Amino acid sequence: MSAYPHQAKLERMTAVIETTGLTKTYGAVRALDGLSLSIPRGGVYGVLGPNGAGKSTLFRILLGLIRPTAGEVRVLGQHAGDPAVMRRIGSMIETPRFPPYMTARQVLEWLALAHGAKDAAIDAWLDRVGLTEAANRRVRGFSVGMLQRLGVAAALMTKPDLVILDEPTSGMDPPGIQEMRALIRSLADDDGVTIILASHQLLEVQRVCDRVAIFNRGTLAAEGKVSELTAAGERLRLSATPLAKIMNVLGDKATLDGDAVLAAIPRAEGPALLRALIEQGVDIDEARWVGADLESVFMAETGPARTDAQVREALHAG
Amino acid sequence: MLADAIRSESWRLLKNRTVLSWSLIFVPLVWLAVLIGGAVIDAKVDRMADQLPPQLTSARAALDLDQTLLSAAGQLANPALLAFLLIGAATVFSSDYRWETWRLITARNSRPNLIMGKVGAVKLMTLAGLALFLAAALLGAAIKGVVLDRDLVFRFGGEEALTFGLLFLLAFVRVVQFLMLSLLTAVLTRSQLAALFVPLVVGVAQAFLVTLAPILGWSAADWQTLLLFPGAAYEALKTVILGGVPTAVLQDGVVLRAVASLALWSLVPFSLALWWFSRQDLSKE
Repeated sequence: MSAYPHQAKLERMTAVIETTGLTKTYGAVRALDGLSLSIPRGGVYGVLGPNGAGKSTLFRILLGLIRPTAGEVRVLGQHAGDPAVMRRIGSMIETPRFPPYMTARQVLEWLALAHGAKDAAIDAWLDRVGLTEAANRRVRGFSVGMLQRLGVAAALMTKPDLVILDEPTSGMDPPGIQEMRALIRSLADDDGVTIILASHQLLEVQRVCDRVAIFNRGTLAAEGKVSELTAAGERLRLSATPLAKIMNVLGDKATLDGDAVLAAIPRAEGPALLRALIEQGVDIDEARWVGADLESVFMAETGPARTDAQVREALHAG
Repeated sequence: MLADAIRSESWRLLKNRTVLSWSLIFVPLVWLAVLIGGAVIDAKVDRMADQLPPQLTSARAALDLDQTLLSAAGQLANPALLAFLLIGAATVFSSDYRWETWRLITARNSRPNLIMGKVGAVKLMTLAGLALFLAAALLGAAIKGVVLDRDLVFRFGGEEALTFGLLFLLAFVRVVQFLMLSLLTAVLTRSQLAALFVPLVVGVAQAFLVTLAPILGWSAADWQTLLLFPGAAYEALKTVILGGVPTAVLQDGVVLRAVASLALWSLVPFSLALWWFSRQDLSKE
């Protein structure tokens, strides 16, 4: 029998989250603007977007902390805010805070009582997030990274079917980030938990997520498998001499990348291009397909960042 | 589940030793110290009296613990105990705003349960505080008996038990009134200081304003006085319990109005707090 009690029901469910026309306004500000999104069951789902894109607002609605202005949202097949559904969700929104007079173990004992989780394996979870040695220390002395770990343990110890993590690696050192990544993957792969996480660390998201949604100004800018999104920007990287000849052959499909050329062509045209270049006397040292990273996709969908010159100009103007 | 909410709030309060010390221990300890100090002074007076001719001194009576207990029960809703109980209440009611921990618990329990869990924990704390005050009074009397070398008499019969029970219940209801004001203030302002001071200010204002009631032509038994000033309702009921009320006043329905006043002053703030909290944006504690 699975350690996760609702697993069988989840097997029959295709989407854990479904929103239709979800809108949330704060005065004149539209934090979410008619968002329609379906998050499939299983795996790790990344929610990306610049600050103010609506990620945290979506999470807060999912967790019943705020109510949407319009639209519908279903969580695990039920209306968001349904207590029966809420008990199947674990969450950590931003850097968690805890009563400072409590130790790490006491925090988990308190939350286990609050959640009615009498069988919560508190010591096992403290161990799993690397807080065994700090278990009896008061949380008022904890670093941000330690608070994050404790927050993750608090989110997971009730064996939820769905876990929502907002910036789970914020404030963590590199080994901590690596451990957290492994923990998230193991929960998704071994325990069958669906994990939704938001992060600004795009490399981490690319490494750990199966699918991502990119938000921009409260709307869905892009959604899909990480491999599919990054494949759309796939290019052939050629280290060869002379570069000028390659540039002539490819025209505006070529861009310089250090001492190599990136050719924006479909994968099927690769062999023909290589033959053509060899016939023209180009000496090819290396040719390999490189995918676009998630950062490129993100920037393409949300608009470019300001250039160094623009930042300097803004500083001088200020 | 409501039981989970009460259990977790009570457990959290138990771990907050500073607040527990101030809310539960401080006033009974001070009261005990005052009683012991009084006993020591009485002992000195007794020693001085020993040197007087016997016809000038009264016989030393035994100490009546029944009266001690009933007297203490009549003083349970005293301002000092109330103020320090409010420290604990304000802490419980505002803690999740202060430490930004609503987000940890709202997802797994209904909002009414969460609020009622806090109220349940604070009521348990209040019962403990009242019991400790009574224990301090009894202990003080026992110590006085030892210091003065007096016999202790305890014949707690059915009538005394009923009077004591009613006084205890009345004091509890009176304290709960202030706790509900604290709850409403905490939910509206999200501030621990406000949750502590607003009920105290309201209490002081009512105590002052009730003295102006006769100017308006309202007697202590009038419904306006009783409904506007729950302190007057509390005093009226206490007098009834202690048997000091003329039948004419009882026939006037004073008991009913006083009970209604105490109930309203508890239920209205609680209901408002519950209603507001159910709609409150908790994304920014």
